[in-house]
Amino acid sequence: MAVFFQSLISGVLIGGVYALIGIGLTLIFGVMRVVNFAHGDIMMVGMYLTYLLFTLLGIDPFISVLISFPLMFFFGGFLQKVFINRVLNAVAQNQILLTIGLGLIMSNTVMLIFTSDYKILTTSYSSSTIQVGGGVSVSTPMLISFLITAAITAVLGWFLLKTDTGQAIRATAQDRDAAQLMGINVSRMSVIAFGLGAALAGTAGALISPTYYIFPQVGSTFTLKAFVITVLGGMGSVVGATLGGILIGITESMSAVYISSGWKDVVVFVLFLLVLLFKPSGLMGKSRT
Amino acid sequence: MNKTILKAVIGLIILAALLAVPRYVESPYALHMMILLFLSVSQGQSWNILGGYTGQYSVGHAAYFGVGAYTTMMLMYSKQVVPWVGVWVGVAIVIVVALVIGSICFRLRGPYFVLASIAVAEIMRLSAINLTTLTNGAEGILATEIPAFKIGERLVTDFSTKVPFYYIGIFLALFTIVITYWVQHSKLGYYFQAIREDQDAAHSLGIHITVYKNIGLVISAVLTSLAGAFYGIYVGFVDPPTVLGLDVSVQIMLICIIGGMGTIWGPVLGSLLLVPLSEALRSNMITEGLVKVGLVSADSRVGLFLKENLAHAHVLLYGVLVVLVILFMPEGLMGFAKKMALRRHREAV
Amino acid sequence: MRKHFLALATALALSPCLMAQKIGVINSMSGPEAPIGENITNGIKLAEEDLKKKGIQVQLVWEDDTGKPQISMSAMEKLATRDNVAGVVGPYTSACSNAVAKLAEKYRVPLLIPAAAKEEITRQGLKHVFRMNAPADKYASSLIDAAASLGKPKSIAFIYENTDFGTSTTKTAKEYVAKKGIQVVADEPYPKGAADYRSTLAKVKSKNPDLVFMVSYVADAILLMRQSREVGLQPQAFLGAGAGFTTAEFAKEHAISENIISCTQWTNDVNWPGAKEFGARYKAKFGKEPTYHAACAYASMMIMAETAKKAGGDRAKTRDALKAGKWNGVMGEVQFADYEGFTNQNNHQMLVQQILSGNYETVLPAKFATKKAVYPFPKWK
Repeated sequence: MAVFFQSLISGVLIGGVYALIGIGLTLIFGVMRVVNFAHGDIMMVGMYLTYLLFTLLGIDPFISVLISFPLMFFFGGFLQKVFINRVLNAVAQNQILLTIGLGLIMSNTVMLIFTSDYKILTTSYSSSTIQVGGGVSVSTPMLISFLITAAITAVLGWFLLKTDTGQAIRATAQDRDAAQLMGINVSRMSVIAFGLGAALAGTAGALISPTYYIFPQVGSTFTLKAFVITVLGGMGSVVGATLGGILIGITESMSAVYISSGWKDVVVFVLFLLVLLFKPSGLMGKSRT
Repeated sequence: MNKTILKAVIGLIILAALLAVPRYVESPYALHMMILLFLSVSQGQSWNILGGYTGQYSVGHAAYFGVGAYTTMMLMYSKQVVPWVGVWVGVAIVIVVALVIGSICFRLRGPYFVLASIAVAEIMRLSAINLTTLTNGAEGILATEIPAFKIGERLVTDFSTKVPFYYIGIFLALFTIVITYWVQHSKLGYYFQAIREDQDAAHSLGIHITVYKNIGLVISAVLTSLAGAFYGIYVGFVDPPTVLGLDVSVQIMLICIIGGMGTIWGPVLGSLLLVPLSEALRSNMITEGLVKVGLVSADSRVGLFLKENLAHAHVLLYGVLVVLVILFMPEGLMGFAKKMALRRHREAV
Repeated sequence: MRKHFLALATALALSPCLMAQKIGVINSMSGPEAPIGENITNGIKLAEEDLKKKGIQVQLVWEDDTGKPQISMSAMEKLATRDNVAGVVGPYTSACSNAVAKLAEKYRVPLLIPAAAKEEITRQGLKHVFRMNAPADKYASSLIDAAASLGKPKSIAFIYENTDFGTSTTKTAKEYVAKKGIQVVADEPYPKGAADYRSTLAKVKSKNPDLVFMVSYVADAILLMRQSREVGLQPQAFLGAGAGFTTAEFAKEHAISENIISCTQWTNDVNWPGAKEFGARYKAKFGKEPTYHAACAYASMMIMAETAKKAGGDRAKTRDALKAGKWNGVMGEVQFADYEGFTNQNNHQMLVQQILSGNYETVLPAKFATKKAVYPFPKWK
């Protein structure tokens, strides 16, 4: 029984981080219909940023989110304005290839600067746990990152629902042409959406850095997972991505125990295909292609 | 002389030259580069059928490449089945696999199709790692002893040099080019292109979308699996990341897109650019070349930096190339060449 | 008279250049294996310096295989047929080494593999392939014999990365424990780079293994140990059979690396000639402690270059000289022999070490031991 709860809890906690990455991706897809293959690499940039802030300035990773969030936002905005904007109307595979190319540039530039050495951030609480009884332990840094993720998601929800800009973004996501006709500056919305998406990915990177390790190629695993999460939750739905992230976290964790750690990724991909086939709009999405 | 005849003559001369190469060129390294080139052309042309002509952009073609490679290698390694028989077993299996994948993925459009194709290839890669009795798992299959090929009692080749591989490679590349030509000029090709341009319009004209998409997929998958089988016996080693990895799928797509999708010579151009560039970057040839020509001094800071890092940076340059092509030459090299030709034609008039 | 003198002087001055031995190096200098590949690069660079001091000029042809076997094979083709090297040192990974071995035999180029673990490589009767390091079966037997000599373990759990290295090393270990009558209670291959092993570790914990045998590289090793501590996995011993458990970064993680037992090809305090000096020199020049790969690569290059020089760059003579030779240096006594089904394998003594007070201390075999082992694994704090 302890094994069951342990895997459930760790699944939920890692699911929180996955959710954050997924939310970023779903925003980008929702507003621009761009499949961003560089999403994981953007997260990687966020991780290195966190690492630099920690080793050079001694700023704790969780606190450094306050600095890295806006920096990553500008980075994302820059990427959108200079590169992504040019392919908004191009065929899907060109968008995909462009983002793949950008991802390759990001990961290899970082590799040239920092080398492929694994960087590990060790904070005072990196290995500390809270014992929940019954032999189940909760990782303290994972718990903190989960709480921060929840807070960010709540703020994001408020932003999207209650502010003018947020509603403009949602309008653009719903129907770009109609939004433009209503006077919304859709290209500015695209920049903001990509910036937000990048900031969220970067933050996810910052939050996971006390418990994971940092290297230039870390992005690719997370990109694929992010896609599974966004499709599962419904492309364009923030709530969906949150639920999707947690669901995938739990699925992975449970599969590792009850099937095998070797097959756990297959389970996730099979789930992905099933969703694509039977409910492509995802858990929370409305049907539109 | 008629332009078509001129083109045909030039083509035949080039072909004859290529066929004569092994007689005059001894260097195994040069032959190796040519073989890589032929392999790349075959991969690009195969993808072209589904992606360029039918408009279904699969980023999971490694699945078919891997099935071809693994089937041939596995049969040769554990059941002593000669590769020229094993290859056809692979083709039979890949047809089934393609139809299954098609039935799953063709229900989806646009980015969803892309994601599904990736998911399928990843499932195959992970299965190859885990099903160790079938595939030898992560250790891969290392089989460099190929049985001698005999017709009756006469020994044709014992595969001890690169020459037989050269000829198989050139034949495979030609075969894919011929199929592409045939697709482009046949009724089948028109249906494919109609589906690519506007699926719903094609459907309303009475074209059975699912049937034709699947035909396109099967042709593409079979050609890709032939390339995979060839790769396996040439290199002598396959493992899950090498033949089923996502980067294999991306590479296959890249050759075609950079060269120009939906054209007969696009993948050839793409290969002519990417294969030598990739090897030149990886093996320090560019740095050595710059030093020899005198542009860069071997001991200068620039020289040392290049020497240390250019080999590492070849993937970075790949990424830059992709971005540049997508932004400035979305129709690929063929599209660019056509535009230039058109411009010159216009200026001449 | 002057003319003759000048000619003679010029000839003498040029002769070292004329005598430069061309040696190929295949290594993972970029890609995921690069962090450890760097040690091999640096070890070879130190060898280059020392060879120069001995008057042996080498011209190294570096080939990056990016960790991929098929690129390694391309590199070997190039070195053997285009660059005409006298011999090759490398590659690094087991998968690359196995792939290149057959090519080396085909082109009759002497190949000296410094640090690849996969047993099969030198079990194929290949005359031109030599290996410096002890193969995977020694990893397994050294660790398990060490545990058996310190306690009475009856059960074992395997946690390993599902790559060629992880799978083949574990396969060997499973065969060995079967012979020793230790029961396998868990077998968990994981995909490299996974973020969360907690549920797998909880599952392993529930099986109560006496020994936990892991095969990982650095980053996974640290995560595995951190999460083992979180989950409260408490075996009699943690046996680390991968390079990840022998690096300086791992030892620095005091909270989670203390008392982990690992096996290694070399430590910087073993009393082989020049070992300590090598370690100090490496640290001074490159700013970090070397892993055993550096020492293996250094010794391999020294041996290959010296042998090639004596054989005048002739491949066949170099091969014969490698087979016949005996050396004693930073890797201890080296001799490439045929035994127990191995061909040209250096019967290298592996060292079992344990991290005590943040330092790697050799604990077995007794004649090289600096400290006594701590067993069983003390309770996590």
